[in-house]
Amino acid sequence: MSKEGRRSFLQIAIACIGGLMSLAAGIPLIGFAISPAWKKGESQWVDVGTVDRLKNSRFKKVNYTFTAKDGWVKATKKRSVYVTDAGNGAWSVFSRTCSHLGCLVRWDESKESFLCPCHGAVFDKTGAVVAGPPPRPLQKLEVKVENGLLYVKEA
Amino acid sequence: MKQFLNDRLLLDGVMAHLRKPLPKHINLLFSLGSLAMFLLLLQAATGAFLALSYSPSPDHAYNAVNYINDEVPFGKFVRGLHHWGASAMVIIVFLHILRVVLYGSYKAPRELTWVVGVLLLLVTLGFGFTGYLLPWDEKAYWATVVGIEISSAAPVLGDVVAKIMRGGAEVGAVTLSRFYALHTIWLPWLAFGLVGLHLFLVRFYGSSGTPKNTPEDMETGKPFYPDQVFEDVVGMLILFVILACAALFAPVPLEDVADPTNADYDPRPEWYFLFLFQLLKYFQGPFEILGTFVIPTVGMLLLLFLPFLDRSERKVLWKRPIAMTVTSICVVTIVGLTILGATAPKLETQEEAQPADEVQQVTPPDTETTDIDEEEDVFDFQLTEEEIEGAREVGEDSQ
Repeated sequence: MSKEGRRSFLQIAIACIGGLMSLAAGIPLIGFAISPAWKKGESQWVDVGTVDRLKNSRFKKVNYTFTAKDGWVKATKKRSVYVTDAGNGAWSVFSRTCSHLGCLVRWDESKESFLCPCHGAVFDKTGAVVAGPPPRPLQKLEVKVENGLLYVKEA
Repeated sequence: MKQFLNDRLLLDGVMAHLRKPLPKHINLLFSLGSLAMFLLLLQAATGAFLALSYSPSPDHAYNAVNYINDEVPFGKFVRGLHHWGASAMVIIVFLHILRVVLYGSYKAPRELTWVVGVLLLLVTLGFGFTGYLLPWDEKAYWATVVGIEISSAAPVLGDVVAKIMRGGAEVGAVTLSRFYALHTIWLPWLAFGLVGLHLFLVRFYGSSGTPKNTPEDMETGKPFYPDQVFEDVVGMLILFVILACAALFAPVPLEDVADPTNADYDPRPEWYFLFLFQLLKYFQGPFEILGTFVIPTVGMLLLLFLPFLDRSERKVLWKRPIAMTVTSICVVTIVGLTILGATAPKLETQEEAQPADEVQQVTPPDTETTDIDEEEDVFDFQLTEEEIEGAREVGEDSQ
């Protein structure tokens, strides 16, 4: 083999060895960093109070906490929702998280609307977008009633 | 000893390089790059000491910052320097880039110097974004929630990117840990690497000078060392005095501890992200993506590739009407949106004006459908005193 051929071989070998080591270390490292994106959270039913107390045709603000895994800790998570009862047992529970960028909306009784303090979003009492930038309605949580308690599904 | 060091470190060669003359007409604006580097070092130094008393966990972060503020000697001052230093860095980097644009210093052969500089701007903003979550107060939490949600609006990979940033579905312990690692390890490494490359390119190609420099002027000005360095050091001293005064007399705000259910809080980012926050108000419904993704991304790409888009050799501003117009519009828009964002009225709603009674009710854990053993608390602001007492008894009975 000529000197030039040998040197070309060495250059290719250096690149291959470097590339292999980078892949061997890089794939697990990248997987380590981005794995949370594919991790599925556990869903659970959380009671938000007794049906008798929550029964109301207007929106009630309910804050509740529940325990869920957050990385390596079992954290107490806080949530805030609006609850209303249409009167025939059909409960509506809206997440207060604005579907635009995650700020908490507020129910305004006089305007009969949910208002977002961040970018001026307005949702009507069905959660539909009336004005502002949100691309989606307010999230309506799955609910069930058992033993006189109202439960919402936490994903 | 001097000879020993000189032989091994080639100090004479280094000094000869540093004494090379700059172009004529170098003015104070040419100190902005040195000031940005000074601020980076100041942030690194103050940040390294703040880290000695900080703990990146939601249970401890807020208390740690309070501890730094109230109990660690000079803690308030060091935190003040770090906080105001971050704002100063954004201003200085912005002015530095503006100077480079106005003087046409990004043009050939300095395209890569410019590209590295824009990457350093992104790193600076990254420092700001990852830094203000660390106190774990209301502003930290909500500004981060909004900031990450903005990235989730990007098409295809937006949601994945947001989850990677958060380390999960929502801002929590993993997010804080990630942001701390980014803020104190990843970004500093990246910043110092890019600064090294930027400085190498600046020294390799030499100063671009001002637009009125002729080719004969390029090496007939004052020497970089000590003349220019002295001016830079005076600028650093003035900047340090301003920051020290701010740290002493303008306390760094620390709001209440982060509360994901506090709807009374009006989330606002740090002032240097306010223009983006305000911009999002103007794009509604299907056009939302313009504000959250298209305009910021296109703007940043245009900035990054500016030297390859503007290939004319003209540097004098009034002979570059397009560059002057676009720059003016950008500056006025950013400053205007920042002012609008800062002065935007807070939301007043009828419901929020009512006092909120809160009650804690503890329900039996066996009513849950998952195997996590925990308690749930229910708060209802409309309950009467009697109901509150009754609910407490129910909770106690169930335990």
